[in-house]
Amino acid sequence: MPRTSVVESPGCPPLRALATDVLGLIKVVEARANPAGVAKVVETWGTPDASRAVLAASLADRVVDPVLAVARNNGVVELLNPLNGDTLAAVNAAGPAPTDSAEDPLATLHLFRRHVPDSSMLGTFLTCTEKGKAFVKSVAKENAASDLAVGPSSSWHVCNSGKVEFSSVDADESYVMFGGKGIELNLWDITSCSKIWSAKSPRGNSLQIFTRPWFTAGTFLCKDDHRKIVACTNNHQVRLYDTASQRRPVISVDFRESPIKAVAKDPNGHTVYVGTGRGDLASFDMRTGKLLGCFVGKCSGSIRSIVRHPELPLIASCGLDSYLRIWDTNTRQLLSAVFLKQHLTAVVIDSHFSTEELETKSTQVDALVEAEAEIRKERKEKKNRSSKVDEGTELVDHDDSAVETYTPKRKKSGDKSKGTKKKSKKQQVA
Amino acid sequence: MKEKPDPVLPSQIKNKEKRSEMHAKLKREKKAQKRKLARERDQAAKLSADLGEQPPEKQVPRTIENTREPDETVCRPDDEELFAGNDADEFSAVLKQQIAPKVLITTCRFNSGRGPAFIEELMQVIPNSHYVKRGTYELKKIVEYANNRGFTSLVVVHTNRREPDALLIINLPDGPTAHFKLSKLVLRKDIKNHGNPTSHKPELVLNNFTTRLGHRIGRMIQSIFPQDPNFRGRRVVTFHNQRDYIFFRHHRYIFETKENKIASKDKKAKTSESKNQSEKQVICRLQECGPRFTLKLITLQHGTFDTKSGEYEWVHKPDMDTSRRRFFLSLSSNCRGITPHCSCLLLSMQELIIAGPMFFEVAIATSGAMTAAAAPGHRIPEVNASHYGFHPLSLLHYYHVSWVDDGIVCVLLIAAESSV
Repeated sequence: MPRTSVVESPGCPPLRALATDVLGLIKVVEARANPAGVAKVVETWGTPDASRAVLAASLADRVVDPVLAVARNNGVVELLNPLNGDTLAAVNAAGPAPTDSAEDPLATLHLFRRHVPDSSMLGTFLTCTEKGKAFVKSVAKENAASDLAVGPSSSWHVCNSGKVEFSSVDADESYVMFGGKGIELNLWDITSCSKIWSAKSPRGNSLQIFTRPWFTAGTFLCKDDHRKIVACTNNHQVRLYDTASQRRPVISVDFRESPIKAVAKDPNGHTVYVGTGRGDLASFDMRTGKLLGCFVGKCSGSIRSIVRHPELPLIASCGLDSYLRIWDTNTRQLLSAVFLKQHLTAVVIDSHFSTEELETKSTQVDALVEAEAEIRKERKEKKNRSSKVDEGTELVDHDDSAVETYTPKRKKSGDKSKGTKKKSKKQQVA
Repeated sequence: MKEKPDPVLPSQIKNKEKRSEMHAKLKREKKAQKRKLARERDQAAKLSADLGEQPPEKQVPRTIENTREPDETVCRPDDEELFAGNDADEFSAVLKQQIAPKVLITTCRFNSGRGPAFIEELMQVIPNSHYVKRGTYELKKIVEYANNRGFTSLVVVHTNRREPDALLIINLPDGPTAHFKLSKLVLRKDIKNHGNPTSHKPELVLNNFTTRLGHRIGRMIQSIFPQDPNFRGRRVVTFHNQRDYIFFRHHRYIFETKENKIASKDKKAKTSESKNQSEKQVICRLQECGPRFTLKLITLQHGTFDTKSGEYEWVHKPDMDTSRRRFFLSLSSNCRGITPHCSCLLLSMQELIIAGPMFFEVAIATSGAMTAAAAPGHRIPEVNASHYGFHPLSLLHYYHVSWVDDGIVCVLLIAAESSV
């Protein structure tokens, strides 16, 4: 008699994740409290077009004005509203000529999370091409339609040869590291655009055989310390570097036999999650370099991206097997798997998603929305006070947007709000 | 003793005679019980028939096919994303006939035993294929070599102990790479009454590649063969997927108007005879012209062959084998999604054709409208057919046939010989 019973997954808590794929689509996956524990695709943004394949994505995960940035295959970085998918701006990041993007596509992208106090800026992002040209660009709100980027921008060369495969920015967003095929791990100061540290490859083995550096993924280990770096190699090693002490790795651990393709840190400051090219997902304790355990469950394709939820103990992983999987980090159990049809490239989690919003959405109680907006306003004010910028008009503008984004009929009101915003701006100009 | 709450199992009795006695007794009881239940069911059915009521529901045996694990990755014909994905994938240039397929066949380093003979036959199956000696080159070098010479696919036959045991298909220039286990190889000379294939471009039948992974594998196989078959050649190559095993067959067929010739041996011919006793009959006969083998997918790698730093789209892992009702290439044999079809079954106008006992059958009525399709014993609610065109050279009509099968629309392109 075959086994007919199935191990029931406990289901995942309310959650919102956005996954990008090779056809340039962005899919919104939500798990809600009502049919508990089932994650579903709720929205798909964009039209399928292979030339606009998403290579990297980054989310500025804020309560007010969240922005999603995606780097496309044609060298364009698009800034989107992660709540309704409206394109806020599209900037040609790689270069003025369209041939540049074909030869030298974007490899990495990071959207800065720190909120610029004056709201004329939409966001600042850091991107790097495969050949090592790194850019920092700011996008202003006014030129949402045009292709030009204004504001502080800088660019530098990370390397002369090799292929950049990843970059990672620390929690304070003042340092960035790069690594790749033929590129040693190196750490840069973003404000001064200078290299402050680079790794040295480990000594050759007993036969004096030296392996070329090939880093495939990396992250800063702790939130408040930019000196501890976890980097993973194509040679299936997980390495811990301490930039304060030495240039060679402090700890180096082998994991299975296929290249490690993705890594994510845990907020507890010592655990990392790694995913390999054969679909193995595991967690490591980097204090000791010990394998904590593997995440098992029918994961059959290369893992391209892992994200840890900032508050809840869960991670999301996606990759070439077209599934977005959500795992519990404590029990290492699969909570939910969603089939998204295409090869996925990146996943981000919107941590400010709550079921309250949905309830208001369904019941359409304005009072609740307003109350929520009030709370948000208060929070906002606190923030502003801390940054010591208090302009009445600006604040009003902000509150406006905050309310609008959380009103039940987002899209329609959004259209309206655009009009009102423009008007108010015109008035200001006048 | 009689009122024991927990009866003693026969296996707990140590005395063999007693044990076997007990066992026999239990078995008898069980059998009697079963017979009694069956009789009751029969009587209930008879009673309801007498009273003119609804007969009680018949028990359906549980089979692997009807207890399969559900799979959400099945390709549906209304899925626009699937088609957009197809247009963007690596095979679309070949499948849209922008490039003619050109195949390089090579071996592992030591090739002997049945390997060379198998390759010789494989080269007759695949048109525009070229054999290149492996020598001591690395596979990555060969991929480079093939790329420079404009090949679209690379097939590597791996031999172990003088027996071909693996097949590697690499789509060029940028992947994917499929690694198959090859088993049950029968060469042409070992097939009874085999035919010799002509050099026409063959037609291709791909059955049951319905999941997303299956669809990709199907398209990969399809891209090895030319997309404009010579229907004149009446040569058909079949890749039939059943429970994740892909069966390869290679046939020639012929339409005959004679009544009972050598075809009387044929089971199908008999059935068709019994069906319509009209004098003028068109019978389709098949002749296998080898080789015959079975493939099983082990890995599908993204990009060309690279074991060290390759990313895999799909790897068969042991923890996937926890259920015998889980399959990765097809949903179920009688519930079809859309499979990539090149040109499908060839049918005579008035006849029923069955391409081998396990392949599905399609029947066409004299008027040209389709009446029934698919596997025996499987009822299809509705079949639509539309005339596709007329091939000027081969006296063939093309029909586009679609039917709804468990909520899935199946589409088939059929070539039929024009009626006299």
